[in-house]
Amino acid sequence: MSRPANNELPGTAERRIPGPVHHKGPGPSESGWLDPRGRGHGGRGLALHRITGIVIVFYLYLHLGVLSMLLIGRSAWGSFLSLVTAKSFLALEVVLIAAVLFHGLNGIRVAFVGSGLAVRRERALFWVGTVIGIAAIIFAALHILGAL
Amino acid sequence: MSEETRSFRVYRYKRGNGGERFDEFEVPVGPHTTVLDALLWIKRHRDPSLALRHSCLHASCGTCGMLVDGREELACVCSVEDHGSEITVQPLANLSILTDLVVEMNGFFARFPHEHPIIRASEPPPDARGGEIHLEGDHEVTLDPLPGPLHYHPLHHDHRAAPPGADFMRLEDCIECGLCLSACPVAATSRGYVGPAALAAAERLLEEPRGVKREDVLAWAGRPEGVWRCHVGLECTRSCPADAIPAERIMALRRELIFDDGDPKERE
Amino acid sequence: MSTRHDAHVLIIGGGATGGGLAHDLALRGLRVTLVERGEVTSGTSGRHHGLLHSGARYAVGDREAGVECIRESTILKRIAPGTFECNDGLFVAVCEEDLEYLDPLVDACTEAGIPVQRLSAAQALRLEPNLNPELKAAVRVPDATVDPMRLILRFLATARHNGADIRPYMEVTGLVRHNGRVTGAALRDHVTGKTGEFNADLVVNAAGPWSGQVAAMGGATVPMTPSPGVLLAVRGRFCNMVINRMHKSADGDIVVPQRGLSIVGTSSWVVEDPDELPVPEDHVERMYTEGTKLIPALRHAPRRAAWSAARPLVGSGGAATGRELSRTFQTFDHAARDGLEGFVTITGGKSTTLRGMAEVCADLVCRKLGIDAPCRTREHVLLPHTAYYSEAAAA
Repeated sequence: MSRPANNELPGTAERRIPGPVHHKGPGPSESGWLDPRGRGHGGRGLALHRITGIVIVFYLYLHLGVLSMLLIGRSAWGSFLSLVTAKSFLALEVVLIAAVLFHGLNGIRVAFVGSGLAVRRERALFWVGTVIGIAAIIFAALHILGAL
Repeated sequence: MSEETRSFRVYRYKRGNGGERFDEFEVPVGPHTTVLDALLWIKRHRDPSLALRHSCLHASCGTCGMLVDGREELACVCSVEDHGSEITVQPLANLSILTDLVVEMNGFFARFPHEHPIIRASEPPPDARGGEIHLEGDHEVTLDPLPGPLHYHPLHHDHRAAPPGADFMRLEDCIECGLCLSACPVAATSRGYVGPAALAAAERLLEEPRGVKREDVLAWAGRPEGVWRCHVGLECTRSCPADAIPAERIMALRRELIFDDGDPKERE
Repeated sequence: MSTRHDAHVLIIGGGATGGGLAHDLALRGLRVTLVERGEVTSGTSGRHHGLLHSGARYAVGDREAGVECIRESTILKRIAPGTFECNDGLFVAVCEEDLEYLDPLVDACTEAGIPVQRLSAAQALRLEPNLNPELKAAVRVPDATVDPMRLILRFLATARHNGADIRPYMEVTGLVRHNGRVTGAALRDHVTGKTGEFNADLVVNAAGPWSGQVAAMGGATVPMTPSPGVLLAVRGRFCNMVINRMHKSADGDIVVPQRGLSIVGTSSWVVEDPDELPVPEDHVERMYTEGTKLIPALRHAPRRAAWSAARPLVGSGGAATGRELSRTFQTFDHAARDGLEGFVTITGGKSTTLRGMAEVCADLVCRKLGIDAPCRTREHVLLPHTAYYSEAAAA
């Protein structure tokens, strides 16, 4: 039976073109974890955990740098102290404490869930951690800012 | 009776025929209208070229997964009433898009462990009557094969042995819909990550081997792109429409890997 | 994999019928192209409750269909192991009137070769504790539960593996005719938007409820009565066995477990257009009411979904609800029927009989093409459904 030589289903060639892959969030796919939209507390917690982790590492270097200023001498140390005891700077300290508290408490939650000890009761663990964290931050804020 | 309408923003893409775009449609809706109903209405009454995946219409086949207002849903059971006056519909993330709202599932299935049985032992049904059943008289009944032509029992005749005491069997919970892979924040950045569904399937093989060797499953799961890529985002469990609780299975798999001393009899 | 025969068959429709046929023809060595306008099984094949019929439901009223079902369900369990919940089914009498159906049911099943076992109420409750405690008696038959799409995917995967080209999102917009012969189809590809014509030595119309519409594209006639029914899925797996009502076929007379859901079905009416299927709320309520007579806990089970699915019933004229029409299948050779060569329709049937339907149609196809190739689908074990996704070529 004769048949036209080029008997192909329409669109055969175009179907071979690779299709796009979507990921959540704007920008390159590597930033997908940053986008909080459409995510629950688990996904947002993961993003915040990574961000606070970076912040804490950055602070560690800052802290070491600060300590190294002890080598400079008394007068330089004095002017440095007046800078870091200013109210605005202390407010930043509270933010840092919040970051450390979040990272630590969330880390405990992740460790419990990740080792399979608390998967079903994860929600409860999350709220307990949140309450402890908020209470601790408020206490720290009052203590640090209120003391002056 | 005046009909309510909603505005749908639908992602469109035809291969080799222009780029990606969003089309807007006004769709009449009722109290039980699902997103899939609305999309099929668009296909029939506005644009027949709209390509959709669907089959069972009751969250059983797992084909109609898509992003509705940025969240993973099965369109056939996603009620339009739960969303606002403008609804955005996009294909799932982290899988290659074939056309419009259809993603290529090859990439999803390629991640699964090689052995992937879908029949498992069933559990006793919930006692919805809320009490003990007191029966008098002759109530013994056996489940021997019925007399007559071949009565095939796959769990027994196949090399995958039925676990002891498995009187009834059932399909696995996982409907292979891909919502978990789309929701996972790690899957976007780590293209090789096997994903929650594949890991959950592997854990099911540890729980009920059906002829698959434990060492093989653990070796498969312990690779870098296996269980260790999970960072406890828990988005998979949140988006799973079939209550397969993938996160719990991933954590169980981790426990097996960490505490595995090689001898199943010594474990509790 | 190279084909043994040069003949090329185009199958229209990627549901149970088309899938079964593609597998059978590919196994016989023919070149097969299957086109489906949406996702495979999206027409009607994927929508049913998942019952693999033992045939007991038909044994009394439609003996032929009952015999087909027990034969085919037994074959399917053999060629597709690991796809069925082989938990058997129960026919349950919940009132005195139901008991009148018990002896006819048992006798009819025995005559049809369907294995059957009488159970007392107590025995039935031991097997299924959530049944209506008022039940009088039960009969056990080899029903089974299946995921409809995944079973059909196994046929399509095996066909693909044997060289068939399975192409979803490819819609037939017309049939191409030359001199009283169908030579191919006009197609629109929904993946790329491209259109074109495709030629084949024989075109098979396997479009289920749409068979009438597809046949009309070529000027042929197929008496097709699409007959939808409503199904209801509720949350909760209340049984492992299929639960049937022990009376003749009526609304809401079956509960099928589907993973964590329970499906109650179904009703029956007839429509012209299988694309417009309403879901009447009174039918949904009827499912709840009737289903509760079998399993009382269903009354308060939350609704997961309610939908309609169209049966492809062959026949017309005078059918009011569709329940009167036979469930057996039919092949139409349009050369004899409409003077149109190169075109064949296979339609009707139950999901359970997809393999048997395909065998009869494939025999007809081979006869028309002058090919001598026996059917091998009774014994050939199918590839797993996941193979459908790994076998897919981009082209």
